[in-house]
Amino acid sequence: MHRPVSEEALRAEDVRKTYRSRGGPAVEALRGVSLAFRRGERIALLGRNGAGKTTFLRIASTLLIPTSGRIEVFGHDVIETPEKVRPLIAVVPQEGKPFFHLTPREQVYCYLRARGFPKGVAKARTEEALDRMGLVEVADRLSVTLSGGQKQRAMVATVMATEAPLMFLDEPTIGLDPFARRAVWNVLRELTRKGATVLLTTHYLDEAEALSERLYIVEEGRILFEGTAERAKRQIGGTLRVSIQNGGEHKELFASFGQTVAEGTSLYVITEPERIHEVMDVALREHLSATVGPVTLEEAFLTIVGRLIDEE
Amino acid sequence: MAFGLRWAGSGAFLATEIRVQLHEWLAILTGTLTPGALLVFVAVLAPDLLAVTVIGALVYSMFLIGQRVLNEAAYIRIDHKLNELYHASPLSPEGYFVGIAAGMLVAYLPPSLVLLVILEILYPLSLLAWLVLAGCLLAVWAVSATIGYVVSTLFKDMKTIWPYSALLTNLFGILPPVFYPLRVLPDAWRSVVLVLPTSAATALVNAAAGLETISADETILAALALGLEAIALFAFGIYWARRTARER
Repeated sequence: MHRPVSEEALRAEDVRKTYRSRGGPAVEALRGVSLAFRRGERIALLGRNGAGKTTFLRIASTLLIPTSGRIEVFGHDVIETPEKVRPLIAVVPQEGKPFFHLTPREQVYCYLRARGFPKGVAKARTEEALDRMGLVEVADRLSVTLSGGQKQRAMVATVMATEAPLMFLDEPTIGLDPFARRAVWNVLRELTRKGATVLLTTHYLDEAEALSERLYIVEEGRILFEGTAERAKRQIGGTLRVSIQNGGEHKELFASFGQTVAEGTSLYVITEPERIHEVMDVALREHLSATVGPVTLEEAFLTIVGRLIDEE
Repeated sequence: MAFGLRWAGSGAFLATEIRVQLHEWLAILTGTLTPGALLVFVAVLAPDLLAVTVIGALVYSMFLIGQRVLNEAAYIRIDHKLNELYHASPLSPEGYFVGIAAGMLVAYLPPSLVLLVILEILYPLSLLAWLVLAGCLLAVWAVSATIGYVVSTLFKDMKTIWPYSALLTNLFGILPPVFYPLRVLPDAWRSVVLVLPTSAATALVNAAAGLETISADETILAALALGLEAIALFAFGIYWARRTARER
């Protein structure tokens, strides 16, 4: 098994990618992405569809050549020496499926063997991965007969069993039920405790919050935000959200307390704890029903990305 | 590591591909159907051409293996994205290409063995003819597997690929003298078809078996064309696998 020598798992500098197609306009998928993370970190890339997350992941995992920029994995140049990077990484591709005419047990075992694991190790790791991903009962059924969630779990099990030093997971929990998602989270946490590094993309913001130690918000090929989920939430002007039913028509009354967002007939006010009483007083005076809750990462994400869209 | 080629893990990937195909045993069995059906027609309509047709069926079966490479490589790339799982791993792109190509060869060889038995019963071959047959079949596999793999990387949709598979099969397997003897073609066409890998292979085996007469020049032309095509194309297949392991 290859072991990395660098403590920096990944470093990307000004990575750009422009897709050109005959007759069509050039599409700038990445416009200068720079980021870095250390060995053992769990990092999430968040962004809307088409923001550039998968493009970055594919470049970092040696599957796509960037238009310009530099990217290193454990000190090895991804563009110049992909053969040195590949033993150190494993990828769950977006919408990837296991071989339909292999069983999950065969799928995981065969992949480990193709990666060079000895038979005994491959067998032991296969059983462990199937157990962790809750696939033991269907381990000997052809994947074609499995549900969508079971197929996805088989893909995740295949990659997790490698215990590669750096794992790229492109929407790994898509289609999984809440229990299966948590099983994946637990395995990822355990792998990073052992020293593996995880870079994942996800549209589930609760997942990003629960799982990642740091996150990057990507929009139109640029990084808009880097930091913890808490920091993202603090950036939007408050840590509490007041939901006011039928408050949409009273937006101006609440504007001085913080950021206001009207959605349907409801109004959301993002504010600080010390101003909650004032907000509730105004709501009661206007005979409006209001509830208080913490700001979610989803609201932070919508605000951060929405700000850019408004600017443009 | 001649020419910088890396083969670590390719044996295991080959075994994976064989295992996948064996789970689809019905497809392997039906692999004999098309050439088998043609044999029935020839046995009824022109029994004196049966041995030529069996040799043609062997060459055609080997060419079909390449078309299975096309379908398999396209399917696991387009539908399953498994190429990304393997390309982002220590398995080299050349190991991936050869794994699929050889996996299809091993899995789909049994139908060809049935044809070999039929040939031996109908028209026992000399040792030389057997050696020529083995070499030619191997060359046709190398050509066809490479064409199949390269074509599989060119498109993003399975439905776009299907017509190309049918086109290649007809161009190389049905139209040229594979199932019928070279002698029925006008002289002017003989040199042209002898540079096609499938008809070159058929002509060489038929000549070695004494089923057809071709001149020394034609023998050299067919052998050179087939040998060079097999080596050059297979080398190109390895280059192409390495090039397309990363999109541009």
